[in-house]
Amino acid sequence: MVMNSSPFGGEARTRTLVALGLLGQSYPRELARLLAAPVSGVQAALRGLERDGLVAGRLIGRTRTYQLEPRYFALKELQPYLARLSAADPDLTAAVEGLRRRPRRSGKPL
Amino acid sequence: MTMSSSSSLAEVAVVVASALNDAGIDVVLTGGACATFYSGGTYLSNDLDFIVRRGGTRRTLDQAMLRVGFQRDGDRYVHPGTIFFVEFPRGPLAIGDDLKITPVVLHLAGGTVAALSATDACRDRLAAFFHWSDRQSLSVAVAIARKQSVEMSTIQDWSQKEGFVASFQEFARAVQGP
Repeated sequence: MVMNSSPFGGEARTRTLVALGLLGQSYPRELARLLAAPVSGVQAALRGLERDGLVAGRLIGRTRTYQLEPRYFALKELQPYLARLSAADPDLTAAVEGLRRRPRRSGKPL
Repeated sequence: MTMSSSSSLAEVAVVVASALNDAGIDVVLTGGACATFYSGGTYLSNDLDFIVRRGGTRRTLDQAMLRVGFQRDGDRYVHPGTIFFVEFPRGPLAIGDDLKITPVVLHLAGGTVAALSATDACRDRLAAFFHWSDRQSLSVAVAIARKQSVEMSTIQDWSQKEGFVASFQEFARAVQGP
């Protein structure tokens, strides 16, 4: 893994935010897989980012899903910055590109 | 004013705002509590969200809140005598990317509290409707617009800037009623 700067306060926080910028929406277990980090670390990062108003979480069924806070006052500036940071994290972009997220009709064989 | 289990949200808001002001902490009440006051009870909030504009650190907040019986529990302040709790969401005071928010002075329960205006409380609820399709927030925004004098042109301009023209039109139709 490339050791990059962590402008959002720590590697876990920064990479979690960058991943959410790429994915749009995700949940702690998926993020932990992508970041190759412990779920507890990702959850702590998400809690901190939520407190800072950068991400918003909501419960869908039994899963808490997260996305960049659409009401964040500097969202328009944040998004391109995260895109730029993602370009400097090839491990993360490769992991995100390897993730199938498009719908798959139920019953269709894998 | 002292607090008891029968204290209203407005009374608790006044007590807390007054304690914070006495401690030199400049705060503005936002969120669901404002929606409660302006919607005339259509929406009932249990939490008081204050944005700190000046003078607040974890320590000064802890001290000021303790003076009126609130103790910190994680990120929120709770009081054994009331169901209402207090939080200090991170600023700045903004609605979407609009940072030019001018608070008003609300006269409540024998005191005053700096708070969002009715127009801004309405926009605050609409932001949740726009971004989360939260229809409860739409109905509260409609209730505020019906009960208060809100600046519809300001709300319309802001909605357009945020990219939610169709959602604003739905809101405006609901305000006019059937």
